[in-house]
Amino acid sequence: MTLEALVDLLVVLMPLMYGCLVLLYGLSFFKGTQWANTAKTPVLFATVSIHLLHILVRTAAFDHPPVTTIFEIMTTLAFCIAVAYAYIELKTKASNTGFFILLLAFVFQTTSSLYIKDLLDIAPIMRSRLLGLHVSSALLGYTAISLSAVYGILYLLLYHEIKSSRFGLIYNRLPNLEMLEKMSHKAEVFGFIMLTIAIAVGLIWLPMAFENFSYWDPKLVGTLMIWILYAMALTAKRTLGWQGKKTVILSVIAFALVVLSMTVINLYMSGFHSFQ
Amino acid sequence: MSSDEAREVVKRMQEQYFDECMLISTCNRTELYGIGKHGNPLDSDLKQFLIERKSGGTAVTADHFTTVVSEEAVRHLFHVVAGVDSMVIGDIQILNQVKEAFQISTELSAMGPIMNRLMQSTLHVGKRVRTETSICEGAVSISYAAVELASKIFADLSKKSVLLIGAGDTGELTLKHLIGKSVADVKIANRTRAKAEALLANLQVKGSVIDYENIVDALRTVDIVITSVNSPSYVVSPVDVQKVMKQRSNNPLFIIDIGVPRNVNPAANKVDNVFVYDLDSLKSIVDKNVDKRKAELPGVNAIVEHEVEAFFHWHNSLQVNPTIQELRESLELIRRQEVEKNINRFKPEDRELVELVTKRIVNKILHQPMTTLKHGAENGSAGTETLWRLKTLRELFGITTDEKSNDDH
Repeated sequence: MTLEALVDLLVVLMPLMYGCLVLLYGLSFFKGTQWANTAKTPVLFATVSIHLLHILVRTAAFDHPPVTTIFEIMTTLAFCIAVAYAYIELKTKASNTGFFILLLAFVFQTTSSLYIKDLLDIAPIMRSRLLGLHVSSALLGYTAISLSAVYGILYLLLYHEIKSSRFGLIYNRLPNLEMLEKMSHKAEVFGFIMLTIAIAVGLIWLPMAFENFSYWDPKLVGTLMIWILYAMALTAKRTLGWQGKKTVILSVIAFALVVLSMTVINLYMSGFHSFQ
Repeated sequence: MSSDEAREVVKRMQEQYFDECMLISTCNRTELYGIGKHGNPLDSDLKQFLIERKSGGTAVTADHFTTVVSEEAVRHLFHVVAGVDSMVIGDIQILNQVKEAFQISTELSAMGPIMNRLMQSTLHVGKRVRTETSICEGAVSISYAAVELASKIFADLSKKSVLLIGAGDTGELTLKHLIGKSVADVKIANRTRAKAEALLANLQVKGSVIDYENIVDALRTVDIVITSVNSPSYVVSPVDVQKVMKQRSNNPLFIIDIGVPRNVNPAANKVDNVFVYDLDSLKSIVDKNVDKRKAELPGVNAIVEHEVEAFFHWHNSLQVNPTIQELRESLELIRRQEVEKNINRFKPEDRELVELVTKRIVNKILHQPMTTLKHGAENGSAGTETLWRLKTLRELFGITTDEKSNDDH
């Protein structure tokens, strides 16, 4: 089998694996199905391993890591999310949040698989060392804030159930409010630091790399706005003593803007920082 | 009955009535399980014995007892261990109490082959019910429901502090459960300071008594508040709570209001990160959990039936062979007696043939019932039926019983 054929196979296989994973975690969460419960963790590790293979094979076949287009970024992001979750599941033994997090990985991977192209020629600019740092810190940052948002949403759902004393699946299966808030917060702090690095590296490197660089590039402005929002949320928590609901709502809103920025700005607005 | 008393009773019971026996004693049940020495001991003897033991005097009469035998007794024991016979459905403690009961009998060598097997099956039922059904899940008392909620709000109760305002059984019980979860600090406030001090001393836990006038102040530093004050008006207002939340940097505050009428204005629940639960909402949690547990009953019963059948499959196989043996002996006895009585009527040279023919007749008569019995016992599904057949057979043929299971309670 040639490398390209293997890549094509893996592109189709990855969303199927994630779909399977989401199904297993969903069955285990919503129905308490026993076999799904025992099968889910092994399948998670199988998926992560195959995904790693996918990324390595892609890198070898096209001579660059899959970080140069938005759809390449998405599969790498899905991989990072799955790895981060696998780590959380091993560490905390709380496998009950898997469905929600892996759902996100599934969405990213499926979008990626639908639109990703076999790309051999990339701009020489995409081979810079600084780009590596810029992209990897951005990826880690986005992974962390994705997790932060998922835990944030779960926090809000559980908060609502406890407040209104209407207890459903969320109440029965999720860990406690404090833990969800802590996980959301930790991921947010980590994500914020990573995004700060990504932006700093970007601001140093971009003016050197692009002739048409502009500080008013939509992506730049969008990212900066998001950064400011996260900075506000974290400051509010630290100095104003905001806790619980309000801070969580802020970080969920910030994440919604991130997704918006990633899709709308990348696909529909032109600027020097577009991937194609 | 205390453990010592139980030991005493088991010892006496074993001496007088039973080959093997076991006594389960909890706060609301005393049950004696045994396998009689010479058939069934008389119910009335047993009952009288127990009444005298417990010096129940005239308060307890024979009418307070129920007696179940054989399959019903095993089924009852399985229901008990499954927690479906308890006052609170799905009671968790009963499994340990049953274990203890078997333990006592084992120590006193009151266990034999049948009770040992019964013990295995019983504990197996207890385990299966707890892992395969959710009959023990969800709090079914007000105080546990409150603790369960607390552990859905806070990650680690051992880092949280509790304030109890007022007195009252449910309030104290809730506090005790929380202390059981090793909360970091306990504060108690009461309009009569001495009462608070007495309670704190009684609890034997690290804590402090605070002045009743300072309770709103105390809300700043605690995480869980239990209010149980007899007061016609609200003790805590939403404005108090709002103010306090700012001072405690919005750290979540869980208020358990078990006062009747309510001690905390329900509007306090509208403040962010404050969770107010009153008696009614806690009761509705308990009711829902009880319903959920009840919905598990069919599953539990299926497990019990399955295990009863398995137990009697084993038990029957124990009984079939001796019964067949005894039946054969009894028929053989009849044959021999009749042959002896009449042997002189035959010519000497035919006598050997008579012996042979009569033996053959007995064997042929026995063949069909024996096959049916053995087959039934092996099949298990006909467990009860086999037992019933054996009983009938013994009755019809007048075989004396001394190996029959007999369980009273």
